[in-house]
Amino acid sequence: MAEVMIAMKNLTKVYKSMGDEVQALRGVSLNIDKGESVAVMGQSGSGKSTLLSILGALNPPTSGSVEVDGIDVYALSQEKRADFRREYLGFVFQQFQLIPYLTALENVMLPLTTVKKSNKEKREMAGSVLCRVGLAGKMNRLPNQLSGGEQERVAIARAIVNEPPVLLADEPTGSLDTKTGDEIMALFQRLNEDGLTVLMVTHNPENTRYMSRTIIMKDGRLCTDKAELLQLVSAGKR
Amino acid sequence: MNLLQIAANNLKRRRMKMLFLTLGLVVGVATVVALMSIVQAMRLELGDRIDEFGANAVIVPRSEGVELSFGDTVVSDVIFDVQELTMADLPKIRQSVVAEYINIVSPKLVGAVKADGQNALIVGVEAKQEFTQKPWFSLREQAGVPAGGKVGDLALLDVPEDGVILGSSAAQHLEKRVGDTLVINERTFSVFGILNELGAEEDGLIYADLAAVQGLLGRPGQLSMIEVSAWCNFCPIEEVVAGLSAALPNGRVIALRQAAMFRYQTIDQFSAFGFALSGVVLLIAALVVLTTMLSSVNERTREIGIFRAIGFRRVHVMEIIFLEAAIVSAMGGLAGYILGSAVAQVAGPFLAQIQGDVPLRTELILPAVLLSAVLAVLASAYPAVKAAQLDPAEALRYI
Repeated sequence: MAEVMIAMKNLTKVYKSMGDEVQALRGVSLNIDKGESVAVMGQSGSGKSTLLSILGALNPPTSGSVEVDGIDVYALSQEKRADFRREYLGFVFQQFQLIPYLTALENVMLPLTTVKKSNKEKREMAGSVLCRVGLAGKMNRLPNQLSGGEQERVAIARAIVNEPPVLLADEPTGSLDTKTGDEIMALFQRLNEDGLTVLMVTHNPENTRYMSRTIIMKDGRLCTDKAELLQLVSAGKR
Repeated sequence: MNLLQIAANNLKRRRMKMLFLTLGLVVGVATVVALMSIVQAMRLELGDRIDEFGANAVIVPRSEGVELSFGDTVVSDVIFDVQELTMADLPKIRQSVVAEYINIVSPKLVGAVKADGQNALIVGVEAKQEFTQKPWFSLREQAGVPAGGKVGDLALLDVPEDGVILGSSAAQHLEKRVGDTLVINERTFSVFGILNELGAEEDGLIYADLAAVQGLLGRPGQLSMIEVSAWCNFCPIEEVVAGLSAALPNGRVIALRQAAMFRYQTIDQFSAFGFALSGVVLLIAALVVLTTMLSSVNERTREIGIFRAIGFRRVHVMEIIFLEAAIVSAMGGLAGYILGSAVAQVAGPFLAQIQGDVPLRTELILPAVLLSAVLAVLASAYPAVKAAQLDPAEALRYI
């Protein structure tokens, strides 16, 4: 029986703004097994980014719980949650979100800043991960000296340098051309085959080919209607 | 990769902002260093000028005394065991442990005489020493100078051995004018000069050559008192008194407290003004740091969100902000010291009307850097806390 890596129980999230309430998640429950790769799809406003931020220990739910590798994430203090993010989660943000004044190597070393290792060890770890994602020769380039695909690879390398068990990705191919997007998805697939549990938010139905499971979000809930599922997946609607 | 490298790299990227921040600190520190250097030079020069103006210690013969009183009334006082103060004591002053602080030594012998048959008080002085020590003495009339003509500077004139200088009241009382003769204890003197009215006891005195007065009073080599002017910038008057007392066990050394108090008060006022002005400038510099760092934090919201999202604790984010402030402040402190010293050296004598040079104060380098660092770190506290409290989800636009 597969081990559950991520367990979401009845997650709700309500945003309050100017007296209005927006219910972004309405009781989402989902388990993701260790080593699974899951694509989360849905229209804009369906709640998928909110779901990702809650799983990323960045955004406390209004109610419900999230357990990652048996740890109740939101039972931790804010500072412990920061430590948790560093040790258990790798996050690939939308639009790469690289630090513009750091080189590729330095960007990848960023999660290691607060880790008690020597600078030499950190450089070796970061260098090794950059080689793994195919950027061995571009370690000293600044982000503005890299292509979109290369920047995405640096972002992925940064996310996995601490060897987290879970990798979260938000629209990793959103600003890339098809060919480059396929290369990136193939990289994610390789990382998953190496044992990483991957959860990815994506608008591109083509990306679901690389993932073991696809879930659809609609109006803050998991969509269970099979016809609608097929329609959404094949139409590739936003 | 460590937090210091992140801070340093950010500063390298935002050069203009860093320059602006550093400039604020440079101006603040430079103002403090320049003010402190100029005020210190003013303190020394003012102190010297005050020390030159009159005596700040007087030496009289040591004696013991007893006061007999009936209730609150002193009925009689008896002085006994009176020591002598002589010309032989003068070199001891210049050989004492405080010799380097002694400026003018003015010995005197005071006695009662008969001047043209009238009772009068005469003071035997070494004219140049006496009148240099008391620059407020000036001649109203001088022998050989026509009425209304320009009289000489008393401190520079050679008063002949048989010449006397009369106080304004003494001249009036004895009905003498310059050039007249005056018989004192059967010895004939010539009136060399008459002093301007001082409104003090000195108006009633006759000033003559010390050796001549010692002869007149039959007290060769003896002195009634020695007035001493000491430089007190680097040696408080109490130390001077102690040093002179050790050199002259037969004398009693008295500090002229009023002169010392006036000196300290005047100088303290200068220093207080300097410090107050420095404080205002530093406050402005701190505000510049605060606003610049706040603006920097606002611009870096997303970046800070990334740091927090990948596992930086709040304290790490604060440390980055403080490290940036520390780097900028170290440079600002050093540059401020150099600029402040240069301004003090070049503009100080002109601005503060100082005669001499403004000394370079190397002992201010470390305090300047530390002051800059403390100022920058304190002013960065609020921006650092604000940065640390940024919600990563909000910063990354997940909310």
